[in-house]
Amino acid sequence: MGTHTHIVVCHECDEIVNVVDPYKEGRYKCPRCGHLLFRQKHGMIEKMFALGLAAAILFGLTNYFPFLSFEVIGNRAEANFLTSVQYLIEEQEWLLAVAVLMTTLVVPSIRIALVLALFGPLYFGKVPGYAPGVLKLLDQTLPWAMVDVFLVGVFVSMVKLVKMGTVIAGISLWAFLVMVFVMAAMQTTYNAHMVWDIVETARRRER
Amino acid sequence: MRAIEADMVSCHACHATVRIGEDPGKGEPHCPRCGEALAFRDYTSMQTVWALVIASIVFYIPANLLPMMHVHTFAGTQSDTILSGVLYFMETGSYLIAAVIFIASIVVPITKILILIYLLVSVQKGTIDNPKKKQKLYLFTELIGKWSMVDVYVVAIMIALVHFGGLTQIEAASGATFFLLVVVTTMIAAMKFDVRLIWDNAQKERDG
Ligand SMILES: [Zn+2]
Ligand SMILES: [Zn+2]
Repeated sequence: MGTHTHIVVCHECDEIVNVVDPYKEGRYKCPRCGHLLFRQKHGMIEKMFALGLAAAILFGLTNYFPFLSFEVIGNRAEANFLTSVQYLIEEQEWLLAVAVLMTTLVVPSIRIALVLALFGPLYFGKVPGYAPGVLKLLDQTLPWAMVDVFLVGVFVSMVKLVKMGTVIAGISLWAFLVMVFVMAAMQTTYNAHMVWDIVETARRRER
Repeated sequence: MRAIEADMVSCHACHATVRIGEDPGKGEPHCPRCGEALAFRDYTSMQTVWALVIASIVFYIPANLLPMMHVHTFAGTQSDTILSGVLYFMETGSYLIAAVIFIASIVVPITKILILIYLLVSVQKGTIDNPKKKQKLYLFTELIGKWSMVDVYVVAIMIALVHFGGLTQIEAASGATFFLLVVVTTMIAAMKFDVRLIWDNAQKERDG
C-alpha cells in the first residue's frame, strides 16, 4: 500500500489532523488536545474475527452453566445468568429487569454478533453491503455493554454472601471472567477508521 | 487549523471529513460516505444536557434515602440503603469492598454531576481558559459513567441467590430503580455534551 494522506478531524477539539500514513502500526493522537484519534494494529481483521469467535463461545458457556451457587443452613440456591432477571420480573421491578437484561445479555450478545457479521466476511475478503449499518451500531451500543461492571458486581456480592452462607463459583463465572477480557481486547483492537476506509474503497471499485 | 474555520465537519458516525460548502444538495447536508445528517454544532444539545443533569439530581435524592433492598432473615427484616451498605462492609472489615461501593455509588455520581454543571456553565459564560483541562474532565465523566451500575448489579445478584421462601429472602427496593435512573441520565447527559463548544470559546478569544 502506498503512502496515503488522510485528513482526520478530532472529535473532541475539532482540529484538522493530517495523518500521512494511517496504515502504519501505532497510536495516532491529536496534536492539539492529545486525544487518541485511532489505533492501528497489524492483522486487525483476523484478530477481530478470532476474538469475536472466542467471545461467542465463552458467552454460550456462560449462559449454559450455573453462575454461582449459594448454601445456607441446608438450603441451596443456584443462579444462572438469567435468574436475577427472572426474580426482578417476579418482583415487578420492570426497569431494573430491563436494564440488567439489556446491559449484561442483550447488548453484549448483539455486539458479538455484529463483530462476527462484519469481520467474518471481511476475513474472507468480502465487504458486506450492511457494513455501514453494522459500524454505526457498534458505535452506538458500546456504552451500554457493561459486562465488566457486572463482573465487579459479582465480586462484591460474593463478599457480601460469604458472611451469610457458602458461595460456590460455577464454570460459567470463569467463562464470563475470560469473556470480559476478550471483549476488552476487542475494544483495543478495533479501528473503525480503517474499516470505513475499506468500505469506501470497495464501493468505489464497484462504480 | 480547526475544522469549523475551514467550513469542514467530521461525520459523527463514520469520521469522514466533509467540506460543507462543497455539498451540492439542497437543505440539510448529509455525509457522502454513510448518509448521516451533518451539522457543525448542535447548540440545542446544551438544553438537553441541562435537563438530564437536573433530572439526575432529582433522582439522586430518593436513590440515597430509599433502601436498595430488603433482607428478610429469621432475625427480622433489614433494609439496606447505599450508605448502610458501605457502613456494613466497613464494620465487617471488608475495607476494599467498602471503598469500591463508596467510590462507585457515591463519589462517581456526585463527581459526574458536578463536572457536567461546571462544563455547562463555563460553555455558557464563554470562559476561554484551560480547554484541555476541561476536556480531560469531560472524558473522565464519560469513562467512569457506567461504573456506578455496580450497586444495581449487586442487588440483582443478591435477590437471585438469596431466595429461600419466606425464611431467608432478599427483595429489590425502589432505591435501586432511582439509582439506575441516576446512572442512565448522567450517562446520556455526558454523551450529548459537545466538548468542541469549549474549544470554540477558546478559539473566539484567539481570533479576537
Ligand atoms: Zn483534538
Ligand atoms: Zn458519515
